[in-house]
Amino acid sequence: MIKKFIHQFASPKTYLKQVDKAYSFIFFTSLSIYLIAIFWGLLLTPEDFVQGHSYRIIYLHVPASFISQSLYLGMAFASAIFLIWKVKLSAYLVRSIAPIGAMTTFIALVSGSIWGIPTWGTWWAWDARIISTLILFIMYLGLISLHDSFTNNEKADKFLAILVLVGSVNIPIIKMSVEWWSTLHQSASITITQKPAIDPSMLYPLFASAIGFTGLVICLVILSSKLHILDRERNKSWVKDYV
Amino acid sequence: MFNFAFSSISEAILMESQNGQNHGIYVWSVFFIVFGALILTFCIYKNKIRNLSKKIK
Repeated sequence: MIKKFIHQFASPKTYLKQVDKAYSFIFFTSLSIYLIAIFWGLLLTPEDFVQGHSYRIIYLHVPASFISQSLYLGMAFASAIFLIWKVKLSAYLVRSIAPIGAMTTFIALVSGSIWGIPTWGTWWAWDARIISTLILFIMYLGLISLHDSFTNNEKADKFLAILVLVGSVNIPIIKMSVEWWSTLHQSASITITQKPAIDPSMLYPLFASAIGFTGLVICLVILSSKLHILDRERNKSWVKDYV
Repeated sequence: MFNFAFSSISEAILMESQNGQNHGIYVWSVFFIVFGALILTFCIYKNKIRNLSKKIK
């Protein structure tokens, strides 16, 4: 029953029609939320007692870092669906998410490095959190290269899905690195089980920037998947009607 | 919560902290990198989709 449901609603043609309808709404809502959140975070929130104004990088760094890991989990989920139920759309999504994941991980690494200069006195440290995030970035690039190196797309999809699932072991390592090892990177300020260690005046714009950034990244995933689907299905008659 | 943290534009650009350091260079660098990366990625994908659509047509 699940298989029938997935196959019925996860055809590339249906997917494109649905995301085309939702795209403008997601884009303009997310952009508005993100711009307000960044204005609020960078110009309205008070100065931090310990870090001074450099803490404002949190509104740009944390959403990127959160999304870079979430996208990989999304890829792992789509890979599992592809391997179990052979849903073609899932394979397309895995390949489409990878470059967006690489971009967000790049932002997380660069913004973290710049934030490190005034707070740690160095832009780079061989720290467990930073290394595991760098590994995530290299994994994203490796997955893109691997898929593109195949001439047979079906084989490439299968290998990519397996590698994504194997590589997902890195996500809990990134998350727990600040707990398992003594790191320069601070431990999480926001957890599900405990009260946040950040003052509400700084916390609300952080939530807003995370929501806005997530929406914009969803839009990028939609564009990336659209490009990939059109490229892979270009010989199908419905694609000619669609464009 | 909604008061400006800076009293002038130059203060907001420099972001001089209580320890005397100017943190504006770090904050605004990250701001431009993030927005630059987002705008560039959107433009690249929009352009690629347009070109591919033309080819398919």
